[in-house]
Amino acid sequence: MIAYTLQRCLYVVVVVWIMSALIFGITQLLPGNVAYAILGQYATNQQIAELEQLLGLNDPWYIQYWRWFSGMLHGDFGRSVVMQRPVGPLIFEAFGRSAILAGITITLVAVIGTWLGVHSATHRGKLSDRVLTLAQYFFIAVPEFFWAILAIILFAVWLGWLPATGYTPIGQSGVGRWLAHLILPVTTLVCGLIAHVSRLTRSSMLETLRSAYILTARAKGLPRRLILRRHALPNALLPTITVLAVDVGILIGGVVVVETVFAYPGLGRLLIYAIEHRDIPLLQAGMMLVTTVYAIANLGADLLYAVVNPRIRYGRSAG
Amino acid sequence: MTSPPILQVDELSVKYATSRGPLTALDRVSFAIPQGRALGLVGESGSGKSTVLLALLGLLGPEATVAARSARFRDADLFGHGAAAVRGDRIGVVFQDAAAALNPALTVGLQVAEPLLVHRRLSRSAAMRRAIELLGEVGVRRPGEVARCYPHQLSGGMKQRALIAMALSCEPDLLLLDEPTTALDVTIEAQILDLLEALRSRRGLSMLFVSHNLGIVERICDELAVLYAGRVVEQGPTEAIFARPQHPYTKGLLAAVPRVQRDRMTRLAPIPGGLPDLTQPQEGCGFRSRCPFSVAACVLPQTLRPGAGTTLVRCHRSAELTEEAWPAATEPAAARRPDTGVRIIEGERLTKTFRLGGFLRRLRFDGGFPLLRPARELRAVDGVSLTIRPGEILGVVGESGSGKSTLARLILRLLDADGGTLRYKSMPVPRKPDREFRRRAQIVFQNPESSLNPRKRVGQILARPLSLFGGSGGEDPERHIERLLTLVRLSASYSDRFPHQLSGGEKQRVSIARAMASEPEILVCDEPVSALDVSVQAAILNLFADLRDRLGVAYLFISHDISVIAHLADRVLVMYGGAAVEEGKLDEVLHPPYHPYTEALLSAVPLVGVRERASQRIRLPVEAMEPGKGCRFAPRCPRRIGALCDEVPPPVREPTPDHRIACHIPIAELESMEPVLVRRGS
Amino acid sequence: MVAVFILLAMTGPWIAPFPFDQFDMRARFDPPGGLHWFGTDEFGRDVFSRVLAGAPYSLIMGFGATAISLAVGVPLGLAAAYYRGLAGELVMRAVDVMISIPPILLGLLILAVTEPSLWKTIVAVGIVYIPIMTRIARSVALGLLVEDFIEAARARGETAGYILFREILPNAWPPIIVETSLRVTFAILLGSALSFLGLGAQPPLSEWGLMIAGSRPFIEQAPWIGLAPGLALCVLLIAINLLGEGLREFLDPRLVEGGRA
Repeated sequence: MIAYTLQRCLYVVVVVWIMSALIFGITQLLPGNVAYAILGQYATNQQIAELEQLLGLNDPWYIQYWRWFSGMLHGDFGRSVVMQRPVGPLIFEAFGRSAILAGITITLVAVIGTWLGVHSATHRGKLSDRVLTLAQYFFIAVPEFFWAILAIILFAVWLGWLPATGYTPIGQSGVGRWLAHLILPVTTLVCGLIAHVSRLTRSSMLETLRSAYILTARAKGLPRRLILRRHALPNALLPTITVLAVDVGILIGGVVVVETVFAYPGLGRLLIYAIEHRDIPLLQAGMMLVTTVYAIANLGADLLYAVVNPRIRYGRSAG
Repeated sequence: MTSPPILQVDELSVKYATSRGPLTALDRVSFAIPQGRALGLVGESGSGKSTVLLALLGLLGPEATVAARSARFRDADLFGHGAAAVRGDRIGVVFQDAAAALNPALTVGLQVAEPLLVHRRLSRSAAMRRAIELLGEVGVRRPGEVARCYPHQLSGGMKQRALIAMALSCEPDLLLLDEPTTALDVTIEAQILDLLEALRSRRGLSMLFVSHNLGIVERICDELAVLYAGRVVEQGPTEAIFARPQHPYTKGLLAAVPRVQRDRMTRLAPIPGGLPDLTQPQEGCGFRSRCPFSVAACVLPQTLRPGAGTTLVRCHRSAELTEEAWPAATEPAAARRPDTGVRIIEGERLTKTFRLGGFLRRLRFDGGFPLLRPARELRAVDGVSLTIRPGEILGVVGESGSGKSTLARLILRLLDADGGTLRYKSMPVPRKPDREFRRRAQIVFQNPESSLNPRKRVGQILARPLSLFGGSGGEDPERHIERLLTLVRLSASYSDRFPHQLSGGEKQRVSIARAMASEPEILVCDEPVSALDVSVQAAILNLFADLRDRLGVAYLFISHDISVIAHLADRVLVMYGGAAVEEGKLDEVLHPPYHPYTEALLSAVPLVGVRERASQRIRLPVEAMEPGKGCRFAPRCPRRIGALCDEVPPPVREPTPDHRIACHIPIAELESMEPVLVRRGS
Repeated sequence: MVAVFILLAMTGPWIAPFPFDQFDMRARFDPPGGLHWFGTDEFGRDVFSRVLAGAPYSLIMGFGATAISLAVGVPLGLAAAYYRGLAGELVMRAVDVMISIPPILLGLLILAVTEPSLWKTIVAVGIVYIPIMTRIARSVALGLLVEDFIEAARARGETAGYILFREILPNAWPPIIVETSLRVTFAILLGSALSFLGLGAQPPLSEWGLMIAGSRPFIEQAPWIGLAPGLALCVLLIAINLLGEGLREFLDPRLVEGGRA
């Protein structure tokens, strides 16, 4: 188990490192001159050259890379070109807000999705199962941004119940208002993912219920609920853990879109902003943060899986 | 005063709804088990024997319609309301594949204790204590530790014992077993059978034992019910049935089983044809299309009637056929081609070692310092030498982990050997052999399901080696394919079929045809009949013998079933743990002097009709430590001399020329061993 | 159903009652009905025509990107399965790393580099999905490689090429095809999402994602501008999903059933 953990951690480190190289490489290819962007249209060539020299843009790429990377390790993420502010606090604040969205979403998806999937499997063929399955198809097919638009139209425009955009921190106007701003984006995100999870849980559960050890459990005369709870669930939920990790990746995509639609000041929106304005340091740092978080989430899922699955936890030890 | 039977089943029928119509899996099956007795349900695949078990327990799914005139356990109606309470409590079940039957996410101890928790409402600690006791009773060493383990950490034998312990936990009166030893090695199987016998006498258990293995059933069961196509065709005391089978199917089954003592030259008598289509109602006798004794009257419905003695038979001709045996195979063995002296295959000291464990898995922390343990090595094949002459059949027998499959692949250069040399007709065979070698050395596999490309028609499958190796100059490929099909007794119409349209036996025939297409001189057969029913197996074994007689093909024939080997092989190689422990002519290997492992192997195999086996049964200890540098078998050897066996590799002794035994024990002592099999005059 | 779409897509540009970029300022923000079935947008363009015109973009996006990922990913996966040594491991590690990146980010990254356009989006989406195809192809191939008929082929001395393409590939198609249909839906989704964010197709193309993005300022006034393409997108995706499910069911029993001789 220890070896496995180490292996996974090592892996995460490698992935993050490669990602940094990738991100750096690609952003270097972005058209547009950074110095030019900072100084504006009317800068003279000389001013540009000076600034380039100052920013170290003329150094060979590996030195620039190292400068950036080591800077990051020390917590220095550079300065935003467009906003003329240090990047660090900017992205972390935005990340915090995005994390609220993502965290709530994943929790809801995990809990509700799993429950729906199990319910569907245990009531297979009955009305509730059919309805759910049909709904699943529908939900999977609909893209996030459309949900978002739909939701806005429905709740914000017609019904006027909830605010369509923006965000207010808790401190400012209390929990209620804060929550109100969150509901639409979170609901949108949840809708996008839940079908995936419930569908997979359902099929995993169905397959588990077909296995030989469930037959043995029934032959032992165990009551149905006990079989479900103790025998079936632990095995059926394993693939669910894996899929939740994948969903975090999809979630990130969804967050970017949803934040754009709802004008929610999170990391996703910041990234889009950075791309549009060619704000390289912001972009680089933002991407790094996202990938690192994703890699860690995957690591968490892997370790959770290993803990729950006795095969990995123990290996072949006893005789 | 006889006590009432513990289980009484009257006209149990099971029908499945399939896309092609209702399929009758069981047709009014009736039997009764007296208290304390064991009833065997015997049949091949499709006979419905497992279905009986599942139906009685109410474990069949909703697609099955179960009906019975009555099914009573003691006084309780098994299909009534109280039935569920009886499951697991008064009736215990042991299923076939222990690896699949145990929940991988729960500890073994918990699974064994569960019935106690549910049915007896014991406290957790009391139940676990009892579970540990039970595990000890079924022969698990260190039961306390094992109870805390998860299934994947245990060996096959241990898992099966755990299953048995689980079934016994509430002290049931009846034990239902569905092929409980099929997935196990022979020596482990023997131990489990010993255990079952002991439990039976100690606890007065009644048993319903489902199996296709006639040898096991003969050993364990007092009474038998033979099932064919969902019907009981013969039922009665085991001894009577084996001594004098009365239904033609039973006769056929017994005739088709390869036996160790039979005169090797005879052909087995297979049962031609296949199971009837169970979606069609069976008029009259279901077996008549395959029965050599059928007459016009067989079309009439048959009932189970008393035959000779206390046996019941479902055949109207049973009385007149009492003395008739199943017709023996008609073709006598033709003379074989003589040994020409040029050896086909010579392997010397072939070795193959696998390295396990990647870098990170070997990382260990010892007091803060990262250490690298040496990678674990698995010596799959350890210095094995063998010779095969033209037209000779070398049988390789061994249990799982003996290295026989690896050896086969080394011979064919499908795996690179780490040591040793290989010669084909005295020329060394390079790592990447040339086309000629590939042509002359072919392979047939065990599993018919995966042997053929499911996307190709039979004709295409056979055409490929023909085109690759040039066929036989100029002959029309279609004719050639036809010839190949005829060679394996399939009609030319098979050429257009896909593998999934063929039965297991037919698929194996196509595999053999494919291997024969290039006109090989040596055929490596890796357990080619292990996955087939007994009746089909007989036909394929005959086919192998025919090919050898007519075409002079040599074989490296691998099997874990020594009866099959005994039926076919000229010489035998016995393997254990990657090393060759004994080699010699068939007769010499089957009789003393033996290598101790051979002795144990022969002692463990459930053979049909071997009641006169030597009373002393050799049993090997359950699990062993890693063997040292000496004899691989030493840790488990019942005749182990001492430290010598552990440390020094055993010398190869030759009691008679060409009979080799690798053992420290002096020949004289080996020669004085009791023969395991009593020599019977043919 | 998909066939209907394809038909529409092909004929769309012709049967549209109005050219998709024709302005008609007087008719701005007409609600649906009458002459304009889906109403008009802020420039007076007929929404229905625009939706029709947008169909081919989504279809090409889906199938094109998937085709790219298939063409590169499958051979790569098969080869990685066959050559288990160092090369195979490296490829798989690279694939794992690529999969570690959330797809949208990868797409964003790639597109951020150049001037966005529809074609570049297709290529980008294709590239994003290559690793997944590779992994799937590899796992299917690994499962097949242990079958005995492959070993029989090796015993005949067949070359790697033959084994991969004549023995494995024909058996590998079904799971790959099923996955492909799923990928097409994802590709369409990703493509429209990228367009929505402004990095995919550019105006005045009537790509659906783009149209939805463009409708945002006018949601209260004229919701149909965004609803129409959104609904079209949904319907298309559901249709493809159903097609995929149907394919899976079709392919499965065909191999298993067939009746006994």
